[in-house]
Amino acid sequence: MANMIKNTVKYDHFFDEGTKRHKINGIQSVLHCHHYTSLYTQLAIDAGETGLLTECARDAVRDILDNYFAANPEVDSIQKKIEIACQYYALVGLGTMKVHFLGDYSGSVEVLSSHTDDGWMKKWGQYDRPVNYISAGFIEAMFEAVLGLPAGAFLAKETQSIVMGAKTSLFNVTRR
Amino acid sequence: MAIDRKKVIEQMSRIEILPDENGIIEGYNVLVTQLSTAFWNSFAERLTSKTEEDMLEAKEYLLYNAAHECGYHTGYGIITSDEWNAVVRPMIEKVPEDVLYGAYAVFTAWGWADSEIVELIPGEKMVVRAYDYYEADIAKYGASKKMSAYMIAGVSAAFMELAYAGEYDPKGKVIGIFVCKQVKGIECGDSYGEFIVTKAD
Repeated sequence: MANMIKNTVKYDHFFDEGTKRHKINGIQSVLHCHHYTSLYTQLAIDAGETGLLTECARDAVRDILDNYFAANPEVDSIQKKIEIACQYYALVGLGTMKVHFLGDYSGSVEVLSSHTDDGWMKKWGQYDRPVNYISAGFIEAMFEAVLGLPAGAFLAKETQSIVMGAKTSLFNVTRR
Repeated sequence: MAIDRKKVIEQMSRIEILPDENGIIEGYNVLVTQLSTAFWNSFAERLTSKTEEDMLEAKEYLLYNAAHECGYHTGYGIITSDEWNAVVRPMIEKVPEDVLYGAYAVFTAWGWADSEIVELIPGEKMVVRAYDYYEADIAKYGASKKMSAYMIAGVSAAFMELAYAGEYDPKGKVIGIFVCKQVKGIECGDSYGEFIVTKAD
């Protein structure tokens, strides 16, 4: 795996010899491939449970970011927290994103590269609707954690999508 | 046995998985994420636990199938990787059986499950035990009525296909030749999870 990057986000990887489990920055983590991501996403679409997939991603990412910000008090401004969240998005292999605007009531995020979209296209080709429900959850969690608001405060909706042929994906964020 | 399981786990668990400049982790012939186990567990458990009885089997099958396809393609990526060639391949004496034993050592090293093969009838049947696995975390107290290790079951069926269903097929047409049934689960109160892989009817 060439061209590795870490940026400034910490990467404390620990393998527990007893349980044979991995932790990244204290959070139990596991490797899975794009087939797994694509099939979970397809399952969510077929079952009418895309909201659940987003909610599960949001809750999991909120734990990660809250844990990270608590353990690293030097990450003490909105700008720093956004930077760390974006780097974390890349660190776990979800892709890269740029926050154009984040406010108490709305926001806009552009996903420049995406595991979910690239993986879906690698497996099945382009699709006629957005599929990146995991990133929607990540973005909602980022807005909540950065602003210290409760779970479910924001709704991220994908309005432009790599999997549909766009160069980048766009997420419009609104307050619930 | 030719495979030094402890050595494989020790060496393969140390590999640092980091993304490229696009935040994409490409390796083992697939794109990889390292998300929290809580995410995967919460979706599978929340989806299945609220499902009506008549739809449960279908949704459980789709969760199992996700792992089945993942295990087939990622498994092939693992057993053809540079890391495999460096660590595991020199230990292999008997193909494909030693490949299977080695694959479960890597399966363990990757944090999927502390698991090993306890019975293998080549080409026919495999019994796998998992002594610790993240899918069991859905039960924090007491015992669930529902076996929930869809990932271990799916990947186990896939590993049998990689071993005994001929050459690797990038389109995965052989997926489904073997099936795996979970018969014990830590999440259900058993002291370990047990998985039996056999040929599909």
